[in-house]
Amino acid sequence: MTEHARFGKSQVRVEDQRFLTGQGRYIDDVNRPKQKHAAFVRSPHAHARVVTMDVSAARALPGVALIVTGAEWAARGFGPLPCRSPSKVNRDGTPFKEPTRHCLASDTVRYVGEPVAMVVAGTADEARRAADAVIVEYAELASVTDRAAALGDDAAQLWPEVPNNLCLDFEQGNRAAVEAAMATAKHVVRLDMGNNRLTAVPMEPRGAIADFDAATGQYTLVNCSQNIHANRDLMASMLKIDKAKLHHLAPDIGGGFGAKNSVYSEPVVMLYAASKVGCPIKWIADRTEAFLSDTHGRDQQSTVTLALDEHGKFLALHVDTVGNVGAACGTMGPFTPTGGTARTTGSVYAIPAILYTSKAVFTNTVQTDPYRGAGRPEAVFHVERIVEFAARTLGIDPVALRRQNLIKTEQLPYKTAVGLEIDCGDFPAVMERVLAMSDRPGYAARVATSRAKGLRRGFAVTPYLETSGGAPHEEARLAFRADGTVVLSVGTHSTGMGHETALAQIAADTLGIDLTRIRFVQADTDATSIGGGHGGSRGIEVGGSAVLKVARMVIEKARGIAAHLLNSHVDDITFKAGVLSDTKTGQSVALDAVIAAAGDTSRLPQDMSAGALDTTAKFERETYTVPNGAHACEVEVDPETGVIAVDKFWCVDDFGSVINPMLADGQVMGGIVQGLGQALLEEVVYDPQTGQLLTASLLEYALPRADHVPRMEIAFFEGAPTKRNPLGAKGSGEAGCCGATPVIVNAVLDALHEYGVRHIEMPLTSEKVWSAITGASA
Amino acid sequence: MDTFTFKRAASVAEAVAAATAGVDAKFLAGGQTLLPVMKQGLAAPSDLVSLARVAAMQGIGVNGGMISIGAMMRHADVAAHGEIKALLPALSVLAGGIADPHVRNRGTIGGSLANNDPAADYPAAVLGLGATVVTDRRRIAADDFFQGMFTTALEAGELITRVEFPVPERAGYIKFPHPASRYALVGVMASKSAQGVRVAVTGAGACVFRATALEQALAKSFTPGALDGVAVGADDLTSDRAGSASYRAHLITVLAKRAVARALEVRS
Ligand SMILES: Cc1cc2nc3c(=O)[nH]c(=O)nc-3n(C[C@H](O)[C@H](O)[C@H](O)COP(=O)(O)OP(=O)(O)OC[C@H]3O[C@@H](n4cnc5c(N)ncnc54)[C@H](O)[C@@H]3O)c2cc1C
Repeated sequence: MTEHARFGKSQVRVEDQRFLTGQGRYIDDVNRPKQKHAAFVRSPHAHARVVTMDVSAARALPGVALIVTGAEWAARGFGPLPCRSPSKVNRDGTPFKEPTRHCLASDTVRYVGEPVAMVVAGTADEARRAADAVIVEYAELASVTDRAAALGDDAAQLWPEVPNNLCLDFEQGNRAAVEAAMATAKHVVRLDMGNNRLTAVPMEPRGAIADFDAATGQYTLVNCSQNIHANRDLMASMLKIDKAKLHHLAPDIGGGFGAKNSVYSEPVVMLYAASKVGCPIKWIADRTEAFLSDTHGRDQQSTVTLALDEHGKFLALHVDTVGNVGAACGTMGPFTPTGGTARTTGSVYAIPAILYTSKAVFTNTVQTDPYRGAGRPEAVFHVERIVEFAARTLGIDPVALRRQNLIKTEQLPYKTAVGLEIDCGDFPAVMERVLAMSDRPGYAARVATSRAKGLRRGFAVTPYLETSGGAPHEEARLAFRADGTVVLSVGTHSTGMGHETALAQIAADTLGIDLTRIRFVQADTDATSIGGGHGGSRGIEVGGSAVLKVARMVIEKARGIAAHLLNSHVDDITFKAGVLSDTKTGQSVALDAVIAAAGDTSRLPQDMSAGALDTTAKFERETYTVPNGAHACEVEVDPETGVIAVDKFWCVDDFGSVINPMLADGQVMGGIVQGLGQALLEEVVYDPQTGQLLTASLLEYALPRADHVPRMEIAFFEGAPTKRNPLGAKGSGEAGCCGATPVIVNAVLDALHEYGVRHIEMPLTSEKVWSAITGASA
Repeated sequence: MDTFTFKRAASVAEAVAAATAGVDAKFLAGGQTLLPVMKQGLAAPSDLVSLARVAAMQGIGVNGGMISIGAMMRHADVAAHGEIKALLPALSVLAGGIADPHVRNRGTIGGSLANNDPAADYPAAVLGLGATVVTDRRRIAADDFFQGMFTTALEAGELITRVEFPVPERAGYIKFPHPASRYALVGVMASKSAQGVRVAVTGAGACVFRATALEQALAKSFTPGALDGVAVGADDLTSDRAGSASYRAHLITVLAKRAVARALEVRS
């Protein structure tokens, strides 16, 4: 049996008992004695100068304890909101533009919902009323919300120091080779395509409780965040306090998807206010506030060009993008539409020359930041749409064209033309397997059945490739308590994915103890010294590897203690199934006895003392892993109404070794549903004239529902575990939406092929589909 | 939410009296429209008069060719009612397709009609089936009840007590849900009865309306084919991000055909 195969069994989530019986403890379940409540005054305008702000009426209202205005915030000299974009250099070598954005705007507001003041009062209602009573006089300015329009010479300018609103002018790849190939290739196909702007809509909106202990100077922030450690450091530096003086932790989190990754204004201002008011301060975003102020995702417009030779072999790919950064840099700034999308451009295909160019632009919209996949789904969408389009244009079977151009297994390891190092995988095997699952022989009959009902059926298969991401290192700690409890503390962060089970499985299986003995601690700067939180599909590969490492270190120590207890030599001690045995004498001692001894210095070797078994490990990956797979689906389109139903869905994923297949299934399903949302339903819309957010409620922002979701058949290809971590695991969290979005769009266009429809922009709403069919203007 | 006085009426007379007495009193039925609006600060009534204990507004009675539904009957009650399922399945389908189980277990037919949301389902039932709205003081024919966006024939303090549906020969309802809200982007109720053919359209305009061109075609032959080539004008229809007026106009005919097909499938 291989090392990593040991964890590969489905295990019902231990946290479900808590979550499904209403015992989860989310931010709004957390209350502190004597707490007060915060409410924020937000800009009603997309772009305006703040002329005056009058807080006198608000201050006189019942319960009001404190009002912090943008002007006061500026006067206090706190640091600006940080930008940590790994992509920061323009193609000409000059640095990108990073205008200063403060937690509360003081002179100019740049998007609807930007906070300009915070009110603290006795109750949430009192705080809201007082916030509404703050009188702000604005002088409205022209605004621009559209990504492409923002670059125009006559577009509204957001920042005087940023001409044409251009934040970063990015280029990666081989321009000369691509231009040469394009100039001489037999076929060059080109298609414009957008990646619609999305918002995560986690079930639980953001919120926090900030507290300050005047006696010790210690701040505590309980925060609905998916990025506890990194944001602690950033917030401490904004507040100009020692990071050791800020204890940052999260309770249970009801979904993140990237929207809880960034450093946000609200908790920072609340920390300051807590020190002023001298009591805990609580704030919970309402749904409208979440739509207005959560970071958004995607929002890219691209021109994709593919060059092919006379046999259909891919020669070169150029993706040219404009990406919407929002009004200023979010925590990851322009990264997503630049480096984040460039990294996996070309996906699973052997393309000798690739160029990714991109302009990241500022607009009068809330910041965009990583949203499930953060550029990798966009990259897969680009290549899968252009490949499908090329096949149609050139009259080649789309499956055959893909098959012909996949990176072959014998080409691995393979370095792509944008520098991605693919270590392992078997792209042809994965695609053939999903084709085999998808009952191609029965397809013609299904087409006929659909047609008899007046419907059109379409099919598509799209392979995908992505990478994990996020912080490269992670910490895990195991501590053994006298009552038999084993405390597992990790720096990764489950916002609902099931780490409490999967990571505990790794520890329990390695130590040979029962899962129920493990008490899981996460998202707490007091529990681990570092932590990468939740982001980049890294929970198992980096966090799980740290857990495996710490468990193995514990066993090493246990062998030493066992040798001492058995009067043996440590080299003779082996560990198996919870028992440490001397291979020479045949004597043995249970791990539990070793754990008990470890609590008692008198029973330990000279160099150890009580607590000796408690161990902390850090794991650092050399580079990210390359999860991949292939999705296939069949859709039915009603040509009379334009309604699309996703009827069948199959997918094969190569996540390397799978720790808990049931949880991996859940990750894939959730990702597919999110991908379906982008393909068919979801779109954040700002009014192009006024910059108002038109989709600020669930009455307007269409999310996928249970009845949109087909039965999904999911299989795992485990033939290529990665050597980049000891588990052999590749990230699984974001894979679903990489494959689902293009496969659904391509299947719809397959169904519409007979009408001559070649492209429809996402989301493929029923009216757009109907208009495309009838040729009517939408 | 602002403070208000809560009153619980035990009879129709008490409810109407309480509503008239308050400065800005409102009836409270299921609260599924009123309470969210109050939470958003868009309404701040001085008094809420709960109708939950008014016996005359409860119950569903079937008498000959007439189904009488108490105004306080919840969507879930109507959807699950055995005799309605048997006699007027289009109405149970409609009620069962409103919102989600939570809302269906609170929201009432009286509240829905009094509110007259342009995209609500019940107005299409009442107008498309030629029902009568019974209030504390009079009987209002469907054709007179709906007057415009969120506007009805109800006078201040007038209380809907029951709604009476004549059982048609055939009826079918098809709803095309708005992708986000799941209210009707377009909903069509088509029916045929002794009084003739009715086609009521909700969601497509400022207020539920009868599609007379479709009714005339169906009066000749109550079949989907009778609507081939019969177009509905887009001029007065709603245009928004979820659907242009021309798309809605197109959907009206498509859905009307499907409603007729469904009406012919099941016996009403
Ligand atoms: C999430 C959600 C989704 C929804 N989806 C749909 C949908 O798909 N289709 C649909 O049709 N509706 C939908 N609704 C609306 C729902 O059907 C409401 O229940 C209905 O509009 C109002 O009924 P109510 O009993 O809750 O009325 P209330 O909210 O209590 O009252 C509404 C108004 O009517 C007045 N009123 C109430 N009863 C009477 C009466 N007997 N006489 C006179 N005036 C009265 C009240 O004073 C108030 O002004 C949805 C609601 C929600 C919250």
